[in-house]
Amino acid sequence: MNAIAFLLGLLVLSYVGSILVGGRTIRGFGLASGAEYLVLGFVLGPQALSVVNRSLLDTFQPVVLVGVSWLGLVLGVSYLRVGLRKVPWQHALLGIALSAVVSACVSAAVLFSAERFTKLPRLELVAFAAVAGLVCSETTRHSVRWIAERHGAKGPLSDLSADTARASALFSCVSLAIVNAWLPGAALPTFSVLGRVGVSLGLGVVLGFTAALLLGREFRRDESWGILLGTSLLGTGAAARLNLSPISTTFAMGLTLALVSRHRLDIKAMVTPTEKPVLLPVILLAGAYVNVKLPAMLLVLVAAALIVKIAARVLCGAALAATVPAARNVGLELGAGMLSSGALGLAVALAFVVRHPGVVSDAVLLLAALGVLVGEWLGPGALRRALTLAGEIKVEEPPAVDAARPSLETRG
Amino acid sequence: MSGHGGAKKTASTRAIQALSLLVTFGVLYGVTRVTPELESHLGTVAAIGFLLLAGTLMSELLETIGLPHLSGYLAAGIVGGPHVLHLVDHHTVQELSPINTLALSLIALAGGAELRLATVRSVARSLAWATLIQSLMVLVCMSGVFLVMSRFLPFTQGMTFKALIGVSLLWGVLAVSRSPSACLGILSQTRAKGPLATFSLAFIMFSDVVVVILLATTMMLARPLITPGGSISFEDFNVLGHEILGSIAVGVTLGLGLSIYLRLVGRQLLLVLLAIGFGLSDTFAYIHVDSLLAFLAAGFVVQNLSDQGEKLLHAIEQTGSVVFVVFFATAGAHLDIPLLKRLWPIAVTLCASRALLTVIAGRISGRIAQDEPLLKRWGWSSLVSQAGLALGLSVVIIKAFPSLGEEFRSLCIAGIAINEMLGPILFKFALDRAGETDTHAPEVRPSLAPPAP
Repeated sequence: MNAIAFLLGLLVLSYVGSILVGGRTIRGFGLASGAEYLVLGFVLGPQALSVVNRSLLDTFQPVVLVGVSWLGLVLGVSYLRVGLRKVPWQHALLGIALSAVVSACVSAAVLFSAERFTKLPRLELVAFAAVAGLVCSETTRHSVRWIAERHGAKGPLSDLSADTARASALFSCVSLAIVNAWLPGAALPTFSVLGRVGVSLGLGVVLGFTAALLLGREFRRDESWGILLGTSLLGTGAAARLNLSPISTTFAMGLTLALVSRHRLDIKAMVTPTEKPVLLPVILLAGAYVNVKLPAMLLVLVAAALIVKIAARVLCGAALAATVPAARNVGLELGAGMLSSGALGLAVALAFVVRHPGVVSDAVLLLAALGVLVGEWLGPGALRRALTLAGEIKVEEPPAVDAARPSLETRG
Repeated sequence: MSGHGGAKKTASTRAIQALSLLVTFGVLYGVTRVTPELESHLGTVAAIGFLLLAGTLMSELLETIGLPHLSGYLAAGIVGGPHVLHLVDHHTVQELSPINTLALSLIALAGGAELRLATVRSVARSLAWATLIQSLMVLVCMSGVFLVMSRFLPFTQGMTFKALIGVSLLWGVLAVSRSPSACLGILSQTRAKGPLATFSLAFIMFSDVVVVILLATTMMLARPLITPGGSISFEDFNVLGHEILGSIAVGVTLGLGLSIYLRLVGRQLLLVLLAIGFGLSDTFAYIHVDSLLAFLAAGFVVQNLSDQGEKLLHAIEQTGSVVFVVFFATAGAHLDIPLLKRLWPIAVTLCASRALLTVIAGRISGRIAQDEPLLKRWGWSSLVSQAGLALGLSVVIIKAFPSLGEEFRSLCIAGIAINEMLGPILFKFALDRAGETDTHAPEVRPSLAPPAP
């Protein structure tokens, strides 16, 4: 397949994505995490049908980079609010803490196993453990939204799930900045790791302030697009050139905009509908990048990481049930419900593949992809059960049989 | 391209824009100094962001001294480009060529959609005379000027007189070509409405077709003069006829398809335009269809054979607000400043002669066609600009006559560069003087933000 045909294919996918968030939308349509596009990408990719080969994927690396960075911006801009409702800081802290706990558990398990059972160099081993933890730390907010929109869930537990899922993005984005700054090959060799993290995030903050200032007093949609696209692409390209983390830079930019711009709601309303059209091609590309031909030991580690992720999420659910009134009696279901992962986990893994290509990053991407599939299998159903148990989803009674209507028996 | 006018920008707004421009330059300057040797896709992403942001800000700042936005985009590209600050290198400029393809297709589509049959009819007489006189007079006289100047040109030394005539004719055709992108860029920014805007648009779009035919004819005539043993081949006309008719046929089909889509679906036009711009341009090149002409025809069909023209124009304006900035800023980055320094005396003489001839031809055609005074006075103003089309023609000529070498191409580029910088300024000045630029504020979207306390 040539590049133009593939580009057209991606545009068609964007078109589909835009229909999914459009006016007469089929909200709650498709799978919550977009796992079907991940599988489609894998089937088309070099590991299966090879319709899209590796060199074509490399040609599209800038598209991947821009796509994942734009997702970072969208996450940043919409970080502080679910719809028009502000995320309470307690929920935000809880979301970050839960992500950190799951990430730490997975990282520790991977590090412990890899040290004993593989001969990976120390650097690769630590990088693998760290990023494996990061890709497992996310709960996709689309899963919560999907359940809420399909089943009309409303209540404190729905809010808690939505808020913690949204808040989990900060942990991944900031931690990826640290990992990229620590990995060899980063520019600014005279800077410490902390300095490079500061540059990653500081660049986003400076560009966010710049965009906020330029968007100024009145909000003009045409000019705003130029400014938002210009600043985000500049931030993405600059961070990528410095071998830092573009997704962290754009997340910081988005968060700055959400904090300081008086047009934060306009900006959110502008960029949020672009998420799905960007997301689907990125997920498809992620699927095409997935490499399953890895050393057996790495495959075992990936499986182990996945099991630890499930266990950690369930334990987090239990902890929530014990401490948060809204989650009482639904701990296990809530924990399993928060297993759904999607865009951010894949984006982090993809960014790692671009930054640090090799078997370790391939293993991380495989882990992220399997995480999406397993999360899709277990997550939405468990969350629906949790919300039903909490009384936030109304179970519709079957329509009562009209007594006056003759039954089949009497007619027969 | 952002709209012109709007609320008066205060000094503090300008100060913020200047500060932001400094930040934009500063960020990329810092990054390129830390990683100077990088030539990869990563540089391209940063370059697009830089050109978009710096172009937008530079255009806003230059607006304060009455320059068109287009000059701001070009200036941002020149300053950031490979010959001044080297923030965007040659490799990156080459990598941005898909953006140019997209921009040109949008420009042609918009150009066709701007041509309403009724308004074309209203300027038909002026258009016919102007096309005839501008094309013939500029072609013949500029060939003569080139012939006279040839003694100062190193690459013409040693050529026979016959060959010199051939080369001069080719230069004459290049002089006839105008810039649809610059014209549409200025009209889009100023939202100009009136006889001058209508005439300029109709003339430039029509002259595209004329130039393509003129080039084929001149190349056919020049071949036996320049190439020893060459002969006149009518086969060129055969090929040209097929290309023009094929382009119109494909364009009409595309236009009908677009009209149906706009009527029945009418959503996600950004994605549809991207697919058309990226996908169809390459397909057209593959099947030897002139994409400019095909898109022009498509836009014309949508405007005149359906009621969807406004919708299409609005969608192109929205997409173009980003794409055109990058397109013109890239054109600025492409300008070869050292070459311009070297060839400026000859290039300036040739450009000045072309501008003068354009003015004279404009006055003559205006008098013959009995145009209204406004057109007689300013009708020529949009015809000085040259850009992508002229560059494309020069590439075609070099391919057909490789013996002319790089120096001929360099002279073309130098001349086009001067016209590219000065032409838009002249056109905007004329539109302002003619009172056709819009002074109303563009639509401001109601803000969702809570009112300030």
